[in-house]
Amino acid sequence: MSKLRLNGVSKAYGATLALRRGDLEVAAGEVHVLMGSNGSGKSTLCKIIAGSVRPDAGQILINDKPVTISGPQAARVAGIGVFYQELSLANRRSVEENICLSALPVKAGLFIDRQALKARAARYIALFSQVAGEGFHAQALVGNLRADQRQLVEIMKALASEAPILIFDEPTSALDRAQVDRFFEILRGLKAQGRGIIFISHRMDEITAIGDRVTIIRDGETIETLKLSDIDPATVIRLMVGGASDMPAARSAAPAVVETQAKAAISVRNLSGKGFRDVSFEVAHGEILGLGGLHGQGQSALLRAIFGANPVTSGAVTIGGERYDAKSPRDAIRRGCAYVSGDRGRDGVIRGRPIIENVTPIHYLRDRLMIARPSRLRNKAMPALEAMHTKFASLFHPINSLSGGNQQKVIIARWLIDRPDVLLLDDPTKGIDLSAKADLFALIRQLAAEGLGILLYSSEDAELLGNANRILVFNGGSVTRELTGDDRTRYNLYQAAYEAA
Amino acid sequence: MTAITTFFKQPLVVALILIVVLLVLGESLSPGFASADQILRLLIVASLLGIVAAGQNVVILGGREGIDLSVGGVVSLSAIIAGNVMNGADGGILPAVLACLAAGAFFGLLNGLGVTLLRIPPLVMTLGMLGVLQGLLVVIRQGIPSGRAAPGLSAFVTQPLLLGIPGIIWLWIAIGLFMALMLNRTVFGHRIYAIGSNEHAAYMAGVPVRLMRIGLFMISGMFAAIAGLCLLGYSGSSFANVGEQYMLSSIIAVVFGGTSLAGGKGGYTGTMAGALLLVILQGILTTVNIDESGRQMVFGATLLFLMLFYGRGRAMRA
Repeated sequence: MSKLRLNGVSKAYGATLALRRGDLEVAAGEVHVLMGSNGSGKSTLCKIIAGSVRPDAGQILINDKPVTISGPQAARVAGIGVFYQELSLANRRSVEENICLSALPVKAGLFIDRQALKARAARYIALFSQVAGEGFHAQALVGNLRADQRQLVEIMKALASEAPILIFDEPTSALDRAQVDRFFEILRGLKAQGRGIIFISHRMDEITAIGDRVTIIRDGETIETLKLSDIDPATVIRLMVGGASDMPAARSAAPAVVETQAKAAISVRNLSGKGFRDVSFEVAHGEILGLGGLHGQGQSALLRAIFGANPVTSGAVTIGGERYDAKSPRDAIRRGCAYVSGDRGRDGVIRGRPIIENVTPIHYLRDRLMIARPSRLRNKAMPALEAMHTKFASLFHPINSLSGGNQQKVIIARWLIDRPDVLLLDDPTKGIDLSAKADLFALIRQLAAEGLGILLYSSEDAELLGNANRILVFNGGSVTRELTGDDRTRYNLYQAAYEAA
Repeated sequence: MTAITTFFKQPLVVALILIVVLLVLGESLSPGFASADQILRLLIVASLLGIVAAGQNVVILGGREGIDLSVGGVVSLSAIIAGNVMNGADGGILPAVLACLAAGAFFGLLNGLGVTLLRIPPLVMTLGMLGVLQGLLVVIRQGIPSGRAAPGLSAFVTQPLLLGIPGIIWLWIAIGLFMALMLNRTVFGHRIYAIGSNEHAAYMAGVPVRLMRIGLFMISGMFAAIAGLCLLGYSGSSFANVGEQYMLSSIIAVVFGGTSLAGGKGGYTGTMAGALLLVILQGILTTVNIDESGRQMVFGATLLFLMLFYGRGRAMRA
């Protein structure tokens, strides 16, 4: 008998099919692993089970009975407990309150039953008492805890639901070895009770240690379900990558490096900061260096730190042979650094303001302008916008009137009026259409050919394989592998990304 | 939506129409309300408010819940400083101007430092500053004569200077031009809109966000100080809390003029119309014998009504 079964579940957001076809069967007493690369649809699948996303089609069965999960509360009632990757904790409340937050014990229908709450929370806190570390106790405020301790609270919260079906979406990313071992012991206990557990992790060693079966998702489709004891990690990766996995990236795809100057455009030595550690590399003039790996392994954090937006704890950056310590983006821009974020709503777009004011801020700074004369600015802005093939009716229309792709082109154009020496691209094509992507990469290559040093992080592996001369694969905040020449294959990229950290 | 309805939905147009309506209403209630002399007098009072509102305007445009509740305190303090420095002598006008500007800049600087370095919300920071200023006013006035306006200053504010129009109105027009140029044609102005619209994006584009914000509060303090000086010229001598009413009315004038309290949207032209509108409204309330407390109630209700009217498109807290 299966605890949970999904038959042909699908979900589209507008024109994008996030999940084409999801079939999943979780048996009682098993840990069922879900694997798939960034954007393959596994988080959509989880959200459908957790009730935060309604599927467009398909069927969900719990204990072989069809159910409709209309929202998170309905999922709880149906017996589904969820560990959320983006922690869902209340920072200003205590550990015990957080553990019981989704079902606070109540007396007389109104008041919190503190005795019952303490007793219930204590059971789950006791499970991890050996490994939780200093400062972890029932009354501690969650906001004062370390990252790994907060993650433990989130785990306890999921366990406290006592749900027959549990989903853990990357529950171990911040935990240390002892904490993971203890967690796995607890999971084995739950298995013995006949619960069904869905487990998502990117660490191959953990998957083989705890998983019974694995379902692989690729391009929004569940490809295959296999017993983990029957297969080796290489097979799993091959299935995730799909066909043509060993083909090297087309040689013509990445431009040749123009070695015009002896000095590197940018060199980074043993750089550490929040989210990344001990990263070293050099980028030559005219080179595109790709940063690969799973999402959130330190690539963005590194780029933001180089740009001065995040603090650096140790190490050195040199640009054009000169030591460079950017304390703010303002410093970085003055030293010839440019940064384009994929999160343009947060980092780029000045909403409600005319296109021209969205193109010129870097020019203001680098030319130390005081007066903004529209005619002069127009002459500066037009070539930059044209280089990006930006479509707009008037420079004085608000930037919000443009499509997402054109907005991103405007944001990129602001770096083209005064050419930078180093271009940092932080997943620049997120959420933009295909033709805008093509325009963007054509420009990036042209800029490389003109001698810029370019760092490119992309959550789409094809963009890295197609454009980067070299790829550094990030895992757990540091570079675990460098792929050059014919090694730049999808298979190698995945393998390095999924290796145990 | 046709061009005509768009035109009539612009806050500036709405304010101008309301100005005409209120003038007609005032004239019908009390003949002579809209006479040339009366309108000049209303313009003088409006320019005092308009000058305070210019500073309020830039602070609000800068976003992050920017607001300056201490303007009224600075106006009062500045009137007292000016009165004591010039003490009825024309030779004291220039030192008084400098002293007032310095005081306004100083309290603006404190506001700005509190908001940026200590991360105190502007609402709390400037409200606290208002309390400090009110206490300071009581201390200063103990046993010391409050001083008198120099004749030259009074003439500047109340007597015709050029084309039969008093100097203060010319000053207001000059400030209007200055504000329009600053907001639309300088890098500083574009950056005010940038930090008000998306502070993080502005930071990532190299805008010195903290320095800008401190500057905006200093501008607000200095405009309030100029208004306090002129207010002394208008009333001849200063009295305690002479500037009290400007806290609420400067905010209403800015909102009336179409500047969003969420920041990043609006301008000074509308604020000027808003200031004029408020002063006319105040005049009408006076002619129908509604006293100060009643006027305050009407003003407060006006602000809440405006929020209802303009605030629907976008939540106040971004």
